[in-house]
Amino acid sequence: MRFSPSTTCLRLMSCDSTGQYFAWLLSCLLIISPALLYADEEFSFELEEFEKKTLEWGGYAELKWEHMDINHGSAFARLNLSGQPISTLDRFGGSLQIDGYYAKGIISFNWLFKASAQQDDLGWADMADIYKAYVSIKPAPLFTASLGKKLYRWGKGYAWNPVGFINRPKDPNDPEEALEGYTTAEIDLIKSLSGPLQTAALTAVILPTWKDVNENFGEINNINLAVKLYLLYRDTDIDLTWYTGNSRSTRYGLDFSGNLEPNFEIHAELAYIPSQKRIILQDAGSSLIRETTAFSYLLGLRYLSKNDITTIIEYYHNDAGYTEEEVARFFQFVADGENQFLASGSDVLLKKASEMSLKGYGKPQPGRNYLYARFTQKEPFDILYFSPGLTTIVNLEDKSFSIIPELVYTGFTNWELRLRFSYLNGGTSTEYGEKMNSNKLELRVRYFF
Amino acid sequence: MKNKKVFFITLGYIALVLFQATVVLALDGNEILRRVDKNMQPESYEMYRKLINIEPDGSKKEFVLYTVKKGRDKMVALFLAPASEKGRSTLRLGDNMWLYIPNVGKPLRITSLQSVVGGVFNNSDILRLDYSVEYNAQQISDKGDTYMLDLKAKTVSVAYDRLKMQVDKKTLLPTTIECYAISGMLIKSLHYTKIKDFGDGIVRPSMLETDSPLHKGYRSVMIFAKVKKKELADEVFTLNYLSKVDELR
Repeated sequence: MRFSPSTTCLRLMSCDSTGQYFAWLLSCLLIISPALLYADEEFSFELEEFEKKTLEWGGYAELKWEHMDINHGSAFARLNLSGQPISTLDRFGGSLQIDGYYAKGIISFNWLFKASAQQDDLGWADMADIYKAYVSIKPAPLFTASLGKKLYRWGKGYAWNPVGFINRPKDPNDPEEALEGYTTAEIDLIKSLSGPLQTAALTAVILPTWKDVNENFGEINNINLAVKLYLLYRDTDIDLTWYTGNSRSTRYGLDFSGNLEPNFEIHAELAYIPSQKRIILQDAGSSLIRETTAFSYLLGLRYLSKNDITTIIEYYHNDAGYTEEEVARFFQFVADGENQFLASGSDVLLKKASEMSLKGYGKPQPGRNYLYARFTQKEPFDILYFSPGLTTIVNLEDKSFSIIPELVYTGFTNWELRLRFSYLNGGTSTEYGEKMNSNKLELRVRYFF
Repeated sequence: MKNKKVFFITLGYIALVLFQATVVLALDGNEILRRVDKNMQPESYEMYRKLINIEPDGSKKEFVLYTVKKGRDKMVALFLAPASEKGRSTLRLGDNMWLYIPNVGKPLRITSLQSVVGGVFNNSDILRLDYSVEYNAQQISDKGDTYMLDLKAKTVSVAYDRLKMQVDKKTLLPTTIECYAISGMLIKSLHYTKIKDFGDGIVRPSMLETDSPLHKGYRSVMIFAKVKKKELADEVFTLNYLSKVDELR
C-alpha cells in the first residue's frame, strides 16, 4: 500500500469563468490542504515483510564499558581483590542474546541463548548459556502445556518478588534483564468469565532437581510443585502462589495490583514460609543452619505525574534476610581473614568467607529492610526517545544506599544507548559501605536485530 | 383573557417542541457515534498498523503492530517492529491496561496517558476503545456536509475529557477529532484520511495523522492494513495469554 500527495485538482484548472475558477481553486486548496502539509512525504506499508513466519528469531548485541573506583579496605574489595592493590578497575565486555521460535500448528519451540565475555584489569571471563528452550502445545486458547527450560517471574513487585517461589532472583539495578530459567513441565489453564470475576487462570509447574538439572534450585533428587492461581476480580489483579517439595521448604504467597486512579497503581506481595532455613555465620567462624518462620512482604506504588515523571517506590521486608549484626559479623570475619593472610599467608578464613558470601552474605540486598525508588521522565524538553532516570536503593537498617542517575536514548532505530553512574555510600560494616567499589560509570550500547 | 390563555398555551407548546428537539438531537448524537464505531471496525477483528513518528527535522521512527479486538472493551496489540520493540504486547480490558515485555517476562500495569512508543501517540490512541464506550454526545451541530459532535468522557479514567468530532454525513466516518484536556486545553488533533475498502463490507479511513500543539513540529501517522473480521476467544484477552499473542496471526 502506498500513499502519495493528491494531484486531482490539477485537471480542474481548465474552468473558464473566473468565479467558477476561484471556487474550484478554493475547493482544491481545501481538498489538498493536508496533502500540502505533508506533500514532501510518502508513507508506505509493505505488509508482506510482517506476515507470520514459521521460524522467527531476533535478539541484540551489546557492548559495555565500566569504570569503577575501588573502595579500599571494604569487605568485598578484600574478598575479590585479595593481593591485588588496584585503585580503579576498567572493564570492557560484550554480549549476544538470541531468541526466537519455530511454530507449526499448535506446537511451538521457543528459545533464548545468551553469551557474554569481559576483559578487565583482573583478567578474562566468559559464559554461554541456554536461558530458555521449551516446547509448548496449545490446542485451545484456554489450555497450554509446555516442557523444557523456562523462566518464571511471579509477583507484582518491580525490584523484588517475595512470592516468586520459582523465580531466579533479579538484580534490582536491572530488573528487566533476561535471566536463566528452570527446566520444568507446566500446564496453563485460562478461563474468562462474565461478572466481577473476569478472569481465572491456573499455572501448575513441576520442577525436578537432579544432577545437572536445576541443581542450584535446592536439594537435588526431588520433584517439586509450584502453583499460581491468577484472578482478575473487578479491576484488581490477584495471585495466589504455593510451592511444595523437598528441595526447598513449603511456602505460600499472595499478591495484588490495582489502580487507585488511572495514573496511580499500587501493588503488594506477602509470602509466608513456615520453615525458612538460613545459613548463619557464628563468631568462631563456624556456620549453622537456623530454621525460622518467615513473613516477607513488599508494598509498592507506581505514579505518573502530569509532567510525565513515572515514580516507582517499593518497601521490601525480607524476614529471611540477615540482621544488621549478622552482616556486620560477616564483614568482621572478612577483615580477620585478611589479617590472617597478611600475617601468616594462610587464606583459610578468606576461603571460608568466600564460601559464606556465595551462600547468602554476598547476594544483592542480603539484609532485611529496603526502600527502592525509581524516577524516570519521558522525553523532557521535547527530546523524543530520551529518558533520564534516577534509581536509589536504601538499606533501611544500616542507612547505607546506592544512587544511580542514568540517561537512556532510543532515537536511532534498533539502537539503545545508556549512560549510568552508580554512587554507593555507607559507613564501616554497612552493606553499601563494604561493596567492592565506591562508584561506577557505565556506558552500554545495544543493537537489536 | 382569552388572548393570555392562547399565549401561554403557545408558549408551553413551543417549550415542549424545543425540549423534544433537544432530546432527539442528543439521541441522534449518540446514535451517530454508535454508527461511527460500527463503520470504523467490526465487532471482532484483527488488523495491522504502522505508526510513524516524524520529528521537526523530518527524521522518522516506525513501529508495526498486530492488533486484535473483541466486543467493546477488549483489545491486544503486539509489536512486530522495530526489532528493539518486537514481542512487546499491550492488553486493554475496559479501563485496565498492561504491558508485557518479553525480557521482563510478566505484565505490568500501565496507564492510558503513558506512551509505549514515544512521540504524539499515547497508549489510549494505540488501544482505543469504541468512541461510544468512552464518550457521550452532548451536542450535535449540522455543518453542511458534516456533523460536529461534542463528546464528553463518561469517566475520569478516559485519556481525553472532551472530543470535538467532525463526522462526514454521507459515510458516517470521522474526518477530524480534536482532543481536549479537562482544563479545556487542546492536546492533539487527529485527521482520518484515505478511505479504503478492506473487504467484507469494511470501508473506513486507512490513515490517521496526528499533531499536537504541545509538541510543535512533531507529528505521528498511523496506517491501517488488513482490517479483517476474526472470531476470537475471550481467553485471548488475558494476562496469561499476552506472551502468546503472536500465535493468533
